[in-house]
Amino acid sequence: MATRVTRRDFLKAAVLAPLAPALLSACRRAGSADEVNFYNWSDYIGKSTLPDFTKATGIAVNYDLFADEEEMFAKIRAGARGYDLIVVGDYLIPRFQILNLIEPVPPGALRNMGNLAARFRHPAYDPDETTVPYLWGTTGIAYNRKTLKRKPTSWRDLWDPRYKNRISMLDNVRDCLSVAMQLLGIPETTHAPADFAKVRALLLQQKPLVKMYSSSSYLNSLVAGEIDLAMTWSGDLFQAARDNPDLDYVLPKEGTYMWVDCLALVRGARHRANALRLIDYLLEPKVAAQNADFVRYATPNAAAAPFTDPVLRRDPRVYPPPRQMDALMMHHVLDPEQTETWNQIWADVKVS
Amino acid sequence: MLEKALSRLLAGKRPAASHLLLAPAALWLLLFLLIPALGLVALSFAKNGPYGEILWRLSLDNYRRAFDPRYVPVLLRTLFFAGGTTVVCLLLGYPLAYFLSFRAGRRRGALIIALMVPFWTSALVAFYSWIVILGKEGLLNRALLRYRLISSPLALLYTPFSVLLGLVYFYLPFTVLPLYASLEKVPRSLVEAAYDLGATRWTAFLKVTLPLSLPGVVAGALLTFVPCLGDFLTAELLGGPRYYLLGNLISNQFLMAQDWPFGAALTVLLLAGLVAGLWGYRRWEAAA
Repeated sequence: MATRVTRRDFLKAAVLAPLAPALLSACRRAGSADEVNFYNWSDYIGKSTLPDFTKATGIAVNYDLFADEEEMFAKIRAGARGYDLIVVGDYLIPRFQILNLIEPVPPGALRNMGNLAARFRHPAYDPDETTVPYLWGTTGIAYNRKTLKRKPTSWRDLWDPRYKNRISMLDNVRDCLSVAMQLLGIPETTHAPADFAKVRALLLQQKPLVKMYSSSSYLNSLVAGEIDLAMTWSGDLFQAARDNPDLDYVLPKEGTYMWVDCLALVRGARHRANALRLIDYLLEPKVAAQNADFVRYATPNAAAAPFTDPVLRRDPRVYPPPRQMDALMMHHVLDPEQTETWNQIWADVKVS
Repeated sequence: MLEKALSRLLAGKRPAASHLLLAPAALWLLLFLLIPALGLVALSFAKNGPYGEILWRLSLDNYRRAFDPRYVPVLLRTLFFAGGTTVVCLLLGYPLAYFLSFRAGRRRGALIIALMVPFWTSALVAFYSWIVILGKEGLLNRALLRYRLISSPLALLYTPFSVLLGLVYFYLPFTVLPLYASLEKVPRSLVEAAYDLGATRWTAFLKVTLPLSLPGVVAGALLTFVPCLGDFLTAELLGGPRYYLLGNLISNQFLMAQDWPFGAALTVLLLAGLVAGLWGYRRWEAAA
């Protein structure tokens, strides 16, 4: 017997249809006990890490990616409360804390906290350990051995007119301004307008040489030979070098920065317990080792060391020897006024 | 109950009742256009807090900053790209629209659908495809090298050329459709009358078809020029760092500089410029 759709049915459906998404999401919310929403940098987790976590715990991970941490910050600040767990750079943590965007990881909540190496415990940027170190790396210079005859040694090489249109800079206010300041011998703590004018001028002077400001797509361009010289984060370049073995990484002679990306709980996270379980899982020695090996960043996890790939373990570009490591600088935590000035300079450089 | 009410409404006996048909659209515009736009205006007078939070200390500071000479090049560049795109779209689109309405015959329907096909993919996917085509080791360069038409790869990507190409690619249908609609309305009898009176094809086109299709030219130009002014994706993906447009300046304030009030002020100025331009055009049209 054929069912006839009467006009009345149709009208009823038409009235109810707009409500359907609301009803659906209400159902989903009710059954949401076994999930966690994780917001991370792109290319920043092992291939099987999250599926393995789900297999081990039954907790589904909704995974979302960002390519710029200022953009991530803007989204969280605008009230994107859907996320439970985010990855935040060390020097941004105070800003998230002041604006009350993250909540502390309760002391003693993590079984595996003790796996972290001593130098990553109670760090200056977060002495109370409200966040958990995830991976760390350095900022340096990537170059193509084949097309660039001379090995770059200094940040200055990114300002060399000979490399016009072959250079890429990270689309990141911290790295670009810090390096400009380093070259000018200006401390990051400065408030002097004259200093900022010099920094702006130096970056503007470089701009005609720069082919792109990018924090992720430049890697494809490096692999494809579109550019030959780039400011990069260590692990990202090692990942790209898998596709183009001519790519190499240099820590500039002036010295450079190390940074620690940390796992943080978003304030009001709906799946707090699950997020904590995921953090604890990521701290397990074997998991941390596999994760670090895949993304080619360094793990702060001392217990993971024996399980990491010995080739990477011995690679001074990934794990610098102690003396070199002590020479690495951490980014200074900017005060509000500096934050505003830095952001404004960067926005100006980009559009001018 | 509901059915009866709706059928009474659709019958439209009383004008007041049939005006209710507008209600859903009006409500939509009110909730999702007018109220957010007013919020943006309010925001543009606020002050940016130390960490990018919004302080409601009202002032004109953001507007004063927007008139800083350092933004003049961005404005000029945007006008150049928007104007260039409009001109290229008209040059490509007019013959196309002419063909569609006068010559295409039975294939017309299929051709119009073909014109819309690029809209079925997201602009993001389309632009990434262009990156694959235009890159140094891209499909185009490889083909040209292979057939010995060039000896070293051409720099196509991250140039003004690639920005213009992306804009034209995306906005061409916006130009063609209004052109087609107005050419379609040109009475064929008038063109025939011109021929009967001894006009050549070219004269008939210049004196009859072209003037009658001018409203379509203006509408097509506006529909291309206006959205180009706010475009940021094209420059972001296909342009190098030296081709940032007004749209990029605005999106940077919201995403990078964490200065929403300034971004709002720039948006309000752009909107005000557009409204003033359209209003001036209407005045001019009414006077002509």
